[in-house]
Amino acid sequence: MAYLSVEALSKAYRRNEVIRDLSFEVERGEFLVVFGPSGAGKTVLLRLIAGMVLPDRGRVVLGGADITRDAPDRRDIGMAFQNFALYPHMTAYENIASPLRSRGMARAELDGRVHGAANLLRIDHVITHLPKALSNGQKQRTALARALVGEPSMLLLDDPLRNVDAKVRYEMRLELPRLLRARDTTVIYVTQDYKEAMALGDRIAVLGDGRFTQIGSPETIYNRPADSRIARLFGDPPINLLDARRDGAAELRVASNSVALPVRRSNTVASDCVLGVRPEDVAVSLEPVAGAVPVEIDAVTPLNDRQVMLLRADDGTEIFASRPQSEQIEPSAGNAHDGIGRGRRRAWATLDIERAHFFETRTGARLAEPALRPELAR
Amino acid sequence: MSSQLLRALRIVLMVMVGLFFLFPLLWVVLMSFMTNVDILRSPPSPFFVPTLRNYLALISGHLSTSSGNVQIDYMHNLLNSVILSVCSVVVSLILGVPAAYAFARYKFRGGEDMAFTLLSFRFAPPLLVLLPLLGYFQTLHLYDTYFGLVWVYQLITLPLVLWIVRGYFEDVSEDIELAYRLDGHGWLATFFKISIPLARPGIAAAGLLSFIFAWNNFIFALILGSSDVQPVTVGALAFITASGIEYGQIAAALVLSVIPTLVLAIFTQRYLVEGLSLGAIKG
Amino acid sequence: MSTLTLTDVSKVYPGSSERSVDDVSMAIKDGEIIALLGSSGCGKTSTLRMVAGFESVTSGTIRIGDTVINRLKPSERNVAMAFEGYALYPPLKVRDNIAFSLLRGRTAKAEIDRRVKAVSDMLELGPMLEKFPPNLSGGQQQRVSLARALVRDASAYLLDEPMSQLEPQLRALLRARIKDHMTLHRMTTVIVTHDQTEAIALSDRVAVMDKGLLQQFGTPEDLRERPANLFVASFIGEPPMNLYTAEVGGGELVVLDERGTPAFRIPCQPGEFAGRRRLSIGIRPHRVHLGAPGNGAAGGSDALIPGEVLSNHWLGDHSHAGIGIGGCFLIAVADRHVEAGVGSQVVLRIPRDAIHIFDDETGLAVAHGLSA
Repeated sequence: MAYLSVEALSKAYRRNEVIRDLSFEVERGEFLVVFGPSGAGKTVLLRLIAGMVLPDRGRVVLGGADITRDAPDRRDIGMAFQNFALYPHMTAYENIASPLRSRGMARAELDGRVHGAANLLRIDHVITHLPKALSNGQKQRTALARALVGEPSMLLLDDPLRNVDAKVRYEMRLELPRLLRARDTTVIYVTQDYKEAMALGDRIAVLGDGRFTQIGSPETIYNRPADSRIARLFGDPPINLLDARRDGAAELRVASNSVALPVRRSNTVASDCVLGVRPEDVAVSLEPVAGAVPVEIDAVTPLNDRQVMLLRADDGTEIFASRPQSEQIEPSAGNAHDGIGRGRRRAWATLDIERAHFFETRTGARLAEPALRPELAR
Repeated sequence: MSSQLLRALRIVLMVMVGLFFLFPLLWVVLMSFMTNVDILRSPPSPFFVPTLRNYLALISGHLSTSSGNVQIDYMHNLLNSVILSVCSVVVSLILGVPAAYAFARYKFRGGEDMAFTLLSFRFAPPLLVLLPLLGYFQTLHLYDTYFGLVWVYQLITLPLVLWIVRGYFEDVSEDIELAYRLDGHGWLATFFKISIPLARPGIAAAGLLSFIFAWNNFIFALILGSSDVQPVTVGALAFITASGIEYGQIAAALVLSVIPTLVLAIFTQRYLVEGLSLGAIKG
Repeated sequence: MSTLTLTDVSKVYPGSSERSVDDVSMAIKDGEIIALLGSSGCGKTSTLRMVAGFESVTSGTIRIGDTVINRLKPSERNVAMAFEGYALYPPLKVRDNIAFSLLRGRTAKAEIDRRVKAVSDMLELGPMLEKFPPNLSGGQQQRVSLARALVRDASAYLLDEPMSQLEPQLRALLRARIKDHMTLHRMTTVIVTHDQTEAIALSDRVAVMDKGLLQQFGTPEDLRERPANLFVASFIGEPPMNLYTAEVGGGELVVLDERGTPAFRIPCQPGEFAGRRRLSIGIRPHRVHLGAPGNGAAGGSDALIPGEVLSNHWLGDHSHAGIGIGGCFLIAVADRHVEAGVGSQVVLRIPRDAIHIFDDETGLAVAHGLSA
């Protein structure tokens, strides 16, 4: 039996359905990341679970009890917010103590618990400060300490690392799972950053137009996206979506070039489809290669120690390729020190069709993959 | 060199503007220590023998003019002013702050219309409202009572409180309130521990402004009350006597009547500034 | 299109005793793209505004080509600027916003249309040309603002946080197209940004600023492989460089954790850092190799350090692993899936040339790489 179960939840604002007939379950101790672009309804979903907003239809069941209409203060839920939502007129100590105060806990025990939480999040040295005297990283740690100190059974984290700097963000990304796993807390974590979603989630739920378009492990979502929209959300630079047409028995026409179609795919693709090729699956060579698409390298834009190239095929199709800096094709491609004579250059791109995704042209849905025949399965 | 000249020029200009605005106040304060003879001397002179006669007359209630002694009850008027203004503001805050919160947080049918109707009370010329009201007040035995006046004063103070405080509540992040609710506190505790403290600068500003408006009101008490409940604004009419206008006493009365508002303003200023500098959300 | 030269440029705001920009000198070549990179308040925007002519220059000179432009009005400098706040004209359609600066000159109507079309195709603004700015999203407005600057023929292009609001799905594509466009047209460009990823993606050279001072001005490779000081080292790279304090022992560096207890040791030449007691050392996450225990013997002269996997995040085309070594914490980046589970033991191989040494007090770089 799932710990949190959301059943057919709907919420509309002025006839605009923000959450549509949404159902999902979260197991005890699970870390579920809700991922979606801004405006997808992530915040409304959290508020429905927290009880700040009441749904038009549907039920929220937590630990076997229907809490759909319970007031927020009776739900045993902890929450941390993107804007921290600290009480500005209270010290960090009082902020953290707030959930314990509501229970009328004895002074000594309260003091111990507050200091324990502050130690855990390494803010014990600033505990007497008012929020305005804290750095953004410390503010978020204080907010997390407040959410954790009451040991709630359910934790909602609303994009908590959005407003902290990169160093703190990396520290927290690594610290959070350890912190929470130790307490067996059930977590729903909302983010717009696909890397954060992949790093933190046991499962990722992709929210689009008020419903989950896919729920699965990071591996599933990245390797088997349910449609081309989801595929585009995960990956930087995003996946290349190329219009393709069946060309004879074993060929596929992509960017005005013919590419060999893998045997096991020959039944998948009827006439036309959209081919999804991740940038890391595009190999670039400065020498002609058989079966490769002739391209121009338009620009090289390094990204976190990866060499990202924008390629343009002769028919104008743009293709991204990316590879680790350690395997870059030219030591200073696009970054010549004199800044002159950089320009475009000729190259050949090989698409790794074995690892490509196939989507339906009209709907973008993933085309069914034929079951691997035993002799092809590893 | 030129920048220093500019700075000097700026200071001179600022002093001139300051004097222009402060001069009437300064002159009133000086007048309150003059006899009528000094005041009416032409040309006016800043050199005179200061006297406390005007203040003593106000406090004792005996006003001696060239055509005999007049009894005035200015201290009673002052007390009335305090009673009326304080009660009006307190009633407005008790009614207006929760209402402002409701208007800020919940979108309910007709909400905007109600808020606007309350504001529209300020549009009507007071005299038009008062004349018919006089008839009702006499029938209901509210004429010449503090209760009746405080009630009518709500026309002035309640819209002010409502509209100023509402804006401040709207600036309090809903997330902060939600966080406090999730900590296990009820809605009432959240209202008093979070919403009110965070809107305190707004509440202080609204209270102060409505106090000043109530204090300065003239026409309501002139028509709906007798000298028993009338405030200083109406009471000052007594200094226009048959034998002339007692400028000295009027000045002294003015100075006395400004003191409570001034003290209040200085006291609330601290809250006004403090609340505004709280780093409520990120930043 | 021209060179842009700043010589000892300083800015002191009235009423302030500090220099917001302190003796900044840089020579930007014709057609070069550079970025001014730093966090808010570092002086990058003040520098840009001095070049544009919106702020007076307290001391120093700014030249475009051979002309000193210090005292010229902004309109006389022939620079194009994209503002952080977009600064679009609300009553004009997107098309007229973009064409605005061209209408002032004597460009033929057909030529204006051609250029507006080219730049709006590049920035994916085609469907929005007939709309009004207030009806656009923040990201779209930012693209219009960029288009308005890029469509001009200017001696220099100044872009203030030009891509901060762009839709994530479009960012990579627009970055590349804009870089291609600027390279193709040899546009001398200064980009102000707080985002090191953006600076490195777009620029030929990056000027890192902090507290009004130019910390380092070099190619992305320089900043990555030879950071001038601790500030640059901690600012460049995502995830940022692992930084520790170390004590110099005989023939080894003893790396200390936050509490000052020794966590691990890196062998070095005896006497390599003679005369120093403490150092700061930096290790870039991308240069750390993870191996199973026992495979370490193949390390050659590289440092081999055992550690425990605390976290292992696969991000699609690369992985981040958090490694605990004693009381120290290290982030390593691998190009592919790392098999090690949380709690398992690994051996880190750190190439000697990937270890950066900084002075403990001044933060200045002492050496990039240990001698073999």
